[in-house]
Amino acid sequence: MNEMRRELEDSARKVFPDWQAAQNAEVCWTQMAELGWFMAGVPEALGGLGLERRDLAVIFTEMGRARMPGPALAQFLALEALVQAPDFPEREELLENAMAGKAITTALTVAGNGLAAVPDADTASRILVRSADEVALVDLAGAKITLFPTWDGSRRLFTVEPAPNSPRIPLAAGIEAAALTERLDGLLCLGLAGDGLGGAETVLAMAIEYLGTRRQFDRPLAMFQALKHRAADLKVALETATALYEASSEAAPLALGAMKAHCCEVYKQVAEEAVQFHGGIGLTVEYPVHLFLKRAFLNRALGGSAAFWNESAGDAVLELASAG
Amino acid sequence: MTQQDDALRREIRDWIAREAPLDWRTASTHEAFVASQRSWFAKLVGAGYAVPHWPREWPGGGRSLAEQKIIYEELARADTPRLLLSFVSTYHAFATLAECASAQQRSHYLPRILEGETWCQGFSEPGAGSDLAAIRSRAERRGDVYVVSGQKVWSTMAQYADMCLLLVRTSGDGPKQAGLTYLLMDMRLPGVSVRPIHQIQGDEEFAEIFLDEVEIPVSQRVGEEGAGWAVAQATLASERGLTLMELSYRMRGAMVRLTEAVHAAGRTCDAGILRKLGALATRVDAVCALADRFLQKRMDEDERAGDASIVKLAYSRCLRAWSDLGVELADLSGQMHGPITFGDLNSGNWMADFMNSYAWTIAGGSDEVQRNIIAERMLGMPREPKNWITEPGQ
Repeated sequence: MNEMRRELEDSARKVFPDWQAAQNAEVCWTQMAELGWFMAGVPEALGGLGLERRDLAVIFTEMGRARMPGPALAQFLALEALVQAPDFPEREELLENAMAGKAITTALTVAGNGLAAVPDADTASRILVRSADEVALVDLAGAKITLFPTWDGSRRLFTVEPAPNSPRIPLAAGIEAAALTERLDGLLCLGLAGDGLGGAETVLAMAIEYLGTRRQFDRPLAMFQALKHRAADLKVALETATALYEASSEAAPLALGAMKAHCCEVYKQVAEEAVQFHGGIGLTVEYPVHLFLKRAFLNRALGGSAAFWNESAGDAVLELASAG
Repeated sequence: MTQQDDALRREIRDWIAREAPLDWRTASTHEAFVASQRSWFAKLVGAGYAVPHWPREWPGGGRSLAEQKIIYEELARADTPRLLLSFVSTYHAFATLAECASAQQRSHYLPRILEGETWCQGFSEPGAGSDLAAIRSRAERRGDVYVVSGQKVWSTMAQYADMCLLLVRTSGDGPKQAGLTYLLMDMRLPGVSVRPIHQIQGDEEFAEIFLDEVEIPVSQRVGEEGAGWAVAQATLASERGLTLMELSYRMRGAMVRLTEAVHAAGRTCDAGILRKLGALATRVDAVCALADRFLQKRMDEDERAGDASIVKLAYSRCLRAWSDLGVELADLSGQMHGPITFGDLNSGNWMADFMNSYAWTIAGGSDEVQRNIIAERMLGMPREPKNWITEPGQ
């Protein structure tokens, strides 16, 4: 990890030392903006910090580690769209506002699945609409916004139907839209994968701490080999997925999708076992371990299903083999 | 990546294109395979690629870890034969001789390794596997020799070895680690007999060594009497990173065997199979990334306790899953017994590959032992009480 990424991680952990520190969505949003996160991926020429995707990858992991609320992932997609779109008159102002924390939301589904799973649509100014034909910013005034209550609850999701004839700013059309949309889907997958790995790290640490303190049969549960081996397997899965994540931040969208499927599965596996490790207390609402399991399930369902991505990856493996 | 690295990569790639054997998979007997191993090793020694991890004074030695990585990456990419026969000689015997042996032992044995003398490791015993310190092969000092009797098992290619790294018990007193002594044994000594182990995939990569009153000169001892355990640690720590990287890359290269199997099974449009294939390909990529990251940590001297166990466990489980998907794809045709390919973990003879994959989930510290290491040394989970004591009345 280079200096920049170390700094990003350190500064995040000062502001959000643990997951409890990030539970107020409004405060969290202000802190993210103050940390410069929304400027991170914007080139210096456009007023940003000019960081790379693998730097953003660190931010995504921190978001998951602290189980952050709010529409930050949507904001990163909107920022990327503004940066990548061909220049247009309002771009500078829109970028400036978005970097300062004015929320633009977008669906956390892969393109072509309608405007579902849109975080904080009730407070955002605009929504980024992504499809293979057009990428545009659409005004949310007068839109029909329906709450989509989730088991997760850490992010507030909505279904959106923009009002007919809402003012819209086109960012890309035709072949450019298709390329941009793919790129944004890739970024969405990177974000969800990182969120999952950060969350898995927190919930695994939580579980291991619990096993170390809970005593039965005159010894800590952590002494039982049956539990050690399961914990070790989770650690192996997490470290392996993390290595893939770190190596593929610049990968093509399809590889990012398959990577997301892998990492989200690991998050779910770790969180599922963590609840089991806690025994009865893991089933109580007061004890936070369930929060991570629910976030893991939602992450897995966002950004395209494992079935979709794995099938696409399988197709690609076959094609690559017959080409090469 | 520096210019020198690029130059090295080009150089070795060109050399491999000219010199690498293409027919190594056609060996129909283990002896033929071993002969091809010997000639491939000799070629690598001649070109200076056999022992990049040895010091500079040896031909081809003095390479940085980054350069070693390039060499193994290219050897894997070109699907050259893995160096099975000389592996213990160039890593385990070398590390032991370099770190713990006398100058005289070093100067006698190291050149012979490059000339093709091969070594095996005589550590495990029927009663000392995961619990290696429980070794019972007994060495009794009589004048200038140790007289050794006992049995060793799981010695890789011992039937072809000239020398053996032998761990024996010289004392039964005190902690069991303290009574061990390390010897360099000539396999041609009277009283040494070797029996190959017939493995479940049809190969004989491992052997048993029987020791009956073998007289080993005291001058063949490495370290002091009773210091064998510490010397053995040097042997065991000799290699992990590069081999697992090489194996992971070979597994990735062999994804093509799985795609061939998908075609052969006529299941290119089977969504369920495509999903499994895609998920596995991603997992294989992840294992490669993990092996890369581990080597990088070694280069940065940033390795944590347990890191090596994580890589081994990730690889061994993935290898099993890789061959398992092949067996599934081959379906009934995969159950037909046919000739095996020696020295290949990713042959596409799926049942053989599956059976062969146990070598990596058991050898070099079983998956279960690796899990203990990860849980205790990395996750900080407490060890069980050291001694198992039968409670009164039981």
